[in-house]
Amino acid sequence: MAKKGKREVPAMSTSSLPDIVFMLLFFFMAATTMREVDPLVKVQMPQANEITELDKKNLVNIWMGKPMNAAKGEDALKIQLNDKTQEVEDIRNFISATTATKGLGPKDIVVNLRVDKEATVGKLTAVKQELRKADALSISYAAMQNE
Amino acid sequence: MARAKKKAGEINSSSMADISFLLLIFFLVTTTMDVDTGMKRTLPPWIDPTEQQNDVDVNERNVLKVNVSRNGSIMVGTEEYRASDLKRSGGHSRLSREVYHFLVDQDKSNKKATEIEGAKYNVSEGLVSLKADNESKYKIYLQVQDELTHAFNLYRDDIARLVYGVGYDELDDIQAANIRKAVPMKISEAEPNDQTKK
Repeated sequence: MAKKGKREVPAMSTSSLPDIVFMLLFFFMAATTMREVDPLVKVQMPQANEITELDKKNLVNIWMGKPMNAAKGEDALKIQLNDKTQEVEDIRNFISATTATKGLGPKDIVVNLRVDKEATVGKLTAVKQELRKADALSISYAAMQNE
Repeated sequence: MARAKKKAGEINSSSMADISFLLLIFFLVTTTMDVDTGMKRTLPPWIDPTEQQNDVDVNERNVLKVNVSRNGSIMVGTEEYRASDLKRSGGHSRLSREVYHFLVDQDKSNKKATEIEGAKYNVSEGLVSLKADNESKYKIYLQVQDELTHAFNLYRDDIARLVYGVGYDELDDIQAANIRKAVPMKISEAEPNDQTKK
């Protein structure tokens, strides 16, 4: 009786834990991409059916929505280029700067317009006009797949 | 001699799990997994307004005018559409059906003989002119764009079946590019000043 009571359950082997965690780590490293910029404007993407996957390599993002820290009732739309909110007029400089760093022409990039679904079309048209002036004619309206 | 037999002590690897956990959490926090998806469009090149404008002549019969107003109603030609007409039932919405029939039902004279894979096919020259009020909602605007794209894709599917005998989705890249070239997505997104002109 006394002998039995003293018998202990052997400790669980944890030697495979690093392997498992490393596998998880590699999965996430392969399946994800680095977050490049912090969002400053709130963008709720609209839903659509006829959308395609976009190639990240030549994609340039432009955000448009209400600022994150907007006071209640304030509904001015802001445009975010890179990591700061800017004006519509800055788009042309932004495009030329981005294409210069990427080593691409303005015609080789696709400008991804991440526009909030509650935004008005007028402001979007102003952005598109600037993009036409910048000769960045390939655009895409960012949208999520409709369920 | 006795020294040579002494084994090097093993490295304690119990902290390995902790280190890799830290790395894992770091990657979980700093990365995103979302895939960028969107609707592709090509803008017309910029024309300086001070320059003499020679508008491209488009036959009125080939143009379907779609107008989105600020209260969310949509005019297609002379007919009024509501938000419910953008909702799909049975795979198509009322708007996409209408635009698709506009492309299909055009007279022969309004169809251009287009060469695809060495043979000629009559392809509609239909163009959709999309105008939206500056105060209209982007959500509705994109929904309309979605339905227009759907109509053009349906028409491409038809042509693909004529040429290759299979649907547009089943074509390989080159064949799909041929179809895209023959049936361009002619959706003209009107400029803002166009609205005051007419």
